[in-house]
Amino acid sequence: MFGVHSDEYSGKLRWPRLGQDVAIVAWPSFLVASVATMVCFAFLDPLLVGNDDYPPPAFSTRMTGYAVGFFFFWLVSSLSSLLTLYLVRTAHPEPTETDENADGGARSTE
Amino acid sequence: MTTPETELDGGLYAARQKIYPREIDGRFQKLRTIAAWVLLGIFYVIPWIPWHGRQAVLFDLPARKFHIFGLTLWPQDFYFLTWLLIIAALSLFFFTALAGRLFCGYACPQTVWTETFLWMERFVEGSRSQQMKLAKAPWTADKVLRKAAKQFLWITFALWTGFTFVGYFTPITELAGLIASFSTGPWETFWVLFYGGATYVNAGFMREQVCKYMCPYARFQSAMFDKDTLIITYDETRGEPRGARKKGVDPKSKGLGDCVDCTMCVQVCPTGIDIRKGLQYECIACAACIDACDEVMDKVGYPRGLIRYDTQHGLEGKPKRVVRPRTIVYATLLALLVAGLAYTITHRNVVGVDILRDRNALYRERPDGKVENVYNVKLLNKDGREHEFRISATGVPGLVVDYAGPNVWVGAGQVQGVPVRIRVPRAELKGGADIEVSIEAVDQPELRATGKARFIAPTD
Repeated sequence: MFGVHSDEYSGKLRWPRLGQDVAIVAWPSFLVASVATMVCFAFLDPLLVGNDDYPPPAFSTRMTGYAVGFFFFWLVSSLSSLLTLYLVRTAHPEPTETDENADGGARSTE
Repeated sequence: MTTPETELDGGLYAARQKIYPREIDGRFQKLRTIAAWVLLGIFYVIPWIPWHGRQAVLFDLPARKFHIFGLTLWPQDFYFLTWLLIIAALSLFFFTALAGRLFCGYACPQTVWTETFLWMERFVEGSRSQQMKLAKAPWTADKVLRKAAKQFLWITFALWTGFTFVGYFTPITELAGLIASFSTGPWETFWVLFYGGATYVNAGFMREQVCKYMCPYARFQSAMFDKDTLIITYDETRGEPRGARKKGVDPKSKGLGDCVDCTMCVQVCPTGIDIRKGLQYECIACAACIDACDEVMDKVGYPRGLIRYDTQHGLEGKPKRVVRPRTIVYATLLALLVAGLAYTITHRNVVGVDILRDRNALYRERPDGKVENVYNVKLLNKDGREHEFRISATGVPGLVVDYAGPNVWVGAGQVQGVPVRIRVPRAELKGGADIEVSIEAVDQPELRATGKARFIAPTD
């Protein structure tokens, strides 16, 4: 039982890059959208959203308004995260002192 | 903090290897189990607690009112929530400075639900080695049955979680009835499935990956660390050089340290890291490796604590300090905020008044020589019980208030609109004046509120 294998996991312990990208975009924007929804609807009653003058209002029930608001915020924040991720991923890495023969960004260093 | 290079190398699209944490018992795992039961218990039980004929904790979104036991919060009270979130964040900072990632290991919903899903997995598929064997095994009837049973448990539990979550926003007994008769509304159905689905995916599949790339706290917690923060650490000077040895052999005679390289600490790790490589941001501080290592140390007859909770100062043999500027600042701020919140909640004004002018006419001249304005006065009773109110006004000499009174009844947590006519002698006023309208509870005169309004009279 003791000292049989030193590397318990031989395979990769991380998601593939694409999976990481989806997670990095979806999750933080979900958190931000949740906060934005709370703040927004603390001040705004969805039933009062719509044309200035007369009905029909934009949302038939408050629950619809909250849900649409939440997904709208999530979409907007996702787009922002997506652009940020794109810029970060496509940037050339800074050459580091220990990395004199930098290989043009094929390897990412954190 | 190190990022193992090997994990970044290789194909970008290679599938990830599933982590099978070995089951482990010990001091800290007992604590974690208790924490999980308490926290999940609170989550699943709270919506079922009744309180004076309604649900004790109900975030009634359709009515825009939050009920928390005796307290009812209105949209105007939103700042309490902000305040509460600041307190929560500061508590996180405080406990992080004090004891590292306590939250991650013991209280984070991601950890707690993942643990629960792991228990179910173990219940159906057996121990770590049995699970790994099953994963490699061909699809026999037994495997299909076990996998199906696991999915059944997971899905049922996830749906129950989604149902409970929605039960915080829709009265849960009603919701249970609606579900039993398959007549839930579209949004209720959607949110039950959404939250249930999120639980299933997060706790069943994503697991430690959430901590690794999705959690912001995992990245910035190091900013709250100092050399006196409790961390889970491997005592390198004592353990190295690691190596296998026969029982009873003096390690010094073979030039070995205390680590027998059994890899138990890696096998029990829910994020699949090797704590012996040093402090890593993937470590959620669940202390499973401490329990595993202690067990092994007991077996081979070495003292416990090769892997232990310690501080960097502790490891260097320097004195440990719990009280230090960082913890004092966090603790003081936290105490002030909590005291302030408690004071404001207990002393907040539970009565409000809103005055809207009648839109049809600016004023009316009466035959008795007075000018009349009509208002719609909205009385807000945020208190937990009903009250009767009197309405009064000041601002112009000789002013008279007329409404269907003398007392206006407003139920607990209700708003009552009352048409109010205010009259002023014609001679007293030209053009207009600002007046103040007040309401006061008859049974409790300290419950009062005042609002401003404009009184309009002819200019000539």
